[in-house]
Amino acid sequence: MTLIQKAQLKSLWVVHYDCGSCNGCDIEILAALTPKFDVERFGIINIGNPKQADVLLVTGPANHRNKEVLLNIYDQMPAPKLVIAIGTCACSGGIFHNCANVLGGIDKVIPVDVYIPGCAVRPEAIVDGVVLALNKLAGIAPVEDEEELQ
Amino acid sequence: MNLISTLIAVTLALATPLIGGLLAGVDRKLTARMQERMGPPLVQPFYDVLKLWGKESMISNRLQPVLAFGYLGFALIAAGLVTFQQDLLLILFMTGIADICLTTAAMNAKSPYSYIGGRREFLAMLSYEPVMLIVYIAIFMVTGSFTVAGIYAYGKPLAMVLPLALIALQFVLVIEMKKSPYDVSGSSHAHQELVRGVFTEFSGYTMALIELGHWAKMATTLMILGLFWAPNPVISAAISLAMFFITLVVDNIYPRLTWQSMLKTTWSVGFILVLLNVVALVIGGVII
Amino acid sequence: MTALVLIGSSIALLGVGEFTYNPGHIYETAVLVLDFALLFYFLYVGVKSKSLPVIVLSLLQLVPVAYFEFVVNGTHVQNIIVVDSLSILLTLIINIIGPIIIIYALSYMDEHEHHLNLKKSTQNRFFFFMILLLSAMNGLAYSNSLYWLYFFWEITTLCCYQLIRHDGTDEAKENSVQALWMGLVGGVGFIGAMFIAYNQVNSIALTDLIAAPEALGLVFALMTLAAFTKAAQFPWHGWLLGAMVAPTPVSALLHSSTMVNAGIYMLLRIAPAIQATPLSSVIALGGALTFAVTAVLAIRQSVSKKILAYSTIGNLGLITLCIGINTALSYTAAVTLLIFHSVAKGLLFMSAGIIENKIGSRNIEDWEGLLGRLPLTTTVMIVGMVSMFLPPFGMLLGKWVAVDALASSPLIIGLPLVLLVVLGSAATTFYYAKWIGYMTVTPNSLEKKKNEELENPYRLSIVGLLALNIVLSVGVTFVINRLVIPVISGAYPIVVSTTGLNIDLDFTSFPVFALWGGTVAVLLIGSWMASSKGGKLASPYMSGANVPGAFSKYRSTAGGEFDVSVSGVFLKSSIDEAALEKLAMIIGVVITVALILVEVI
Repeated sequence: MTLIQKAQLKSLWVVHYDCGSCNGCDIEILAALTPKFDVERFGIINIGNPKQADVLLVTGPANHRNKEVLLNIYDQMPAPKLVIAIGTCACSGGIFHNCANVLGGIDKVIPVDVYIPGCAVRPEAIVDGVVLALNKLAGIAPVEDEEELQ
Repeated sequence: MNLISTLIAVTLALATPLIGGLLAGVDRKLTARMQERMGPPLVQPFYDVLKLWGKESMISNRLQPVLAFGYLGFALIAAGLVTFQQDLLLILFMTGIADICLTTAAMNAKSPYSYIGGRREFLAMLSYEPVMLIVYIAIFMVTGSFTVAGIYAYGKPLAMVLPLALIALQFVLVIEMKKSPYDVSGSSHAHQELVRGVFTEFSGYTMALIELGHWAKMATTLMILGLFWAPNPVISAAISLAMFFITLVVDNIYPRLTWQSMLKTTWSVGFILVLLNVVALVIGGVII
Repeated sequence: MTALVLIGSSIALLGVGEFTYNPGHIYETAVLVLDFALLFYFLYVGVKSKSLPVIVLSLLQLVPVAYFEFVVNGTHVQNIIVVDSLSILLTLIINIIGPIIIIYALSYMDEHEHHLNLKKSTQNRFFFFMILLLSAMNGLAYSNSLYWLYFFWEITTLCCYQLIRHDGTDEAKENSVQALWMGLVGGVGFIGAMFIAYNQVNSIALTDLIAAPEALGLVFALMTLAAFTKAAQFPWHGWLLGAMVAPTPVSALLHSSTMVNAGIYMLLRIAPAIQATPLSSVIALGGALTFAVTAVLAIRQSVSKKILAYSTIGNLGLITLCIGINTALSYTAAVTLLIFHSVAKGLLFMSAGIIENKIGSRNIEDWEGLLGRLPLTTTVMIVGMVSMFLPPFGMLLGKWVAVDALASSPLIIGLPLVLLVVLGSAATTFYYAKWIGYMTVTPNSLEKKKNEELENPYRLSIVGLLALNIVLSVGVTFVINRLVIPVISGAYPIVVSTTGLNIDLDFTSFPVFALWGGTVAVLLIGSWMASSKGGKLASPYMSGANVPGAFSKYRSTAGGEFDVSVSGVFLKSSIDEAALEKLAMIIGVVITVALILVEVI
């Protein structure tokens, strides 16, 4: 593993987009940044600017209004990038998957790398999911977890 | 200057981004500890820069990467002027060029965030450059020379003669390091105003260059602060680090203030303090 | 052809060195006749434009001159033509920059008349006065007789009047009359100086006056007044701002590189004679205040030529300040600044004129993204602007020497003035840097819409002057040794020296080679890195609301598509333009009164 690849694992910058979530998952994401869970010790910063971010954290289901915005933000992120769908709404649409305006989970719009279910997602699960993302970036496939998700 | 000292000067100048990066790491660790959390490892900023280097880069136009390198390059030249003990005014002007490279690169992108960040960066420059100029003139009045070599030749530590100037420079340090309360143009990480302010439209290797340039500038300013106790290198480093620490504490206590407040406070505090100091020295007979 | 003759002869003059010459009596008579003709013409202009100041001022010159010549017979001087290093320097500046601007004007006037849809070309009249101006400036530089100097001075005023009103619009006519009466004030100042000088020492030869300056304080004060009107210091700055209605070559030639230099030349000439006098301090104060206030005012301007005009007035104020401080170091700074300012300002006005002609607007908010549309012109303009206030260019060297001079002058004078210089420099950086940023904004589409087809005269003039600017800045050692030091020596001790390519002062040095080498290295490495690593051209971040496909359009909440627009920074809420203008007039009146009072009391 080259130095740059090692650095990519140790420094993961996040941009967070709320696709229509009730904000429950967003609050939990913020909680993960607080001193109690402190993801900054892994080098994770909420940078808020897709041009400088590695990971796109999305909450809430994709709908007709925000699909273009979501796609735009995804396109503005430079490679290599990851998408993490946080919360059941982002994974599959959740209880809103049948609504008229809802397309479903965000994987209907952009490719997703890690799904973290939950309503709202617990910060520990978020940290766990981020570790999964890091492993994916490093090329180590976490076999057991993939089977459970399917 | 003989070969050894030339080599040392060149190495020190080229090492300023690394020194600055380590200090940035210390900054993040101490800030985290002040907030009762673990914080990233000390070398985290280097991981950040390496990661940025490995990313795809998105640019606004073909001039932007040249200007981004200009920011780093001119900061290194300024650092070189310090290590080769050259004229203080020239050091100030070279860092001025570096800043202009940054703001021009930021204004290159037709983005309101980046544009307002650039505009505020101008105002930040407008705030701290006159104060530094006045301090340098006060130093000239005391040592009789504008060069770093002259400060070393003066013998007495400047902090004993110009203590108020040092306090004025604390304000300058806060603005230069882009820390609260004066981080109006583009704060260091974890804060988000105007998205990333003047740094918004940089990504990949251009962002890495900007980060390195920022660290070089920070290290250069700290070196200049250290000149206030030139005779003893240990106390010199202690002064730099002490002012660095004060900046961190102030950053964690204060919210962000407006640019008008930054301009007014820096100018009034800076000018008044330095003037008082000079008047005291005239009365005391140190300056004729 | 004329250009080559002028340039060649002035460089030859540099080689020849100083000399004096006495033209025959017939020339003196010729000058006398022409002078009366000129004054009657001014009177006629005053009557025709119904301008009382012009009428009064012309009469104030006509009557005394007649008295002086016919009653007192004081206009004869033994050595009328005296060429010393200062004269040579002035003629070099005029005769090298002047022809370049006239070559530029060849193309500019064609386009200008095309824009104005003129039926009959007025270019003949235009070029006549432009070249007349160059001749008058040359004559001014060589004159040792105060009367001849005054005569050539008034010819420059005539050219200024005619060139400003060239386009014939009402505004042009009004502004030209303003320039005329302010210039005539200078003329009256000269008349007064002549009378008093003749009264005191029976001579109006400059060499005599400067050699024995005692009891001549009022003479020098009046000459300073004349210099201030020509160099547009407060309160005489109005005419320069109003002169921006003239075609751009006029601005480039008269108001940046040549005519205003006449005022500075005057001050440089009398400076050795007024060392350590209160008059000198008043000059310094006037210059400093002008510099600071115009720099702040320039931030508020959005018309390109107005910004350049304020910048000119400000920089002339800085030079005036240096002359006023009147130490060896500050005199060096003044001469250096004069050289580099003339070159850089001429360049800026020329490029601004081309841009204005090509895109049809003087408002810098319309100059957005010019780097893509007019690459060569914009690059020249940007380099010109950078050379005005950044190292390693010569203008910064001059400013650096000026700050050194201010810091080493007596505390009471130095400290408040240095605060003004600091304020002015900071403001200068602000308005130039934001202008540069504005011109390099990415254009609205990714394809470069290049519609730049520069005619040869344009190309030749701006690239030529840019090359001269860079060569002079890199070879600043040559400039200091061959141009600046000869001017200083004799009147002041030499405090600046050169080692290799570096400039040394007593207490510090300017490493020209290191700085230029470093700058070139940074630009080369940066360009190499940019071309090798490249990058994807990407839209700016608009919180995801970008319209796909368009480079910088965004979708509003109602679904409409809008262009991103960013406007300039003019600090409208913080800088009160009207109040500052009033302040400028008050400062100007106080300084003018002080000039006279310090020598009367």
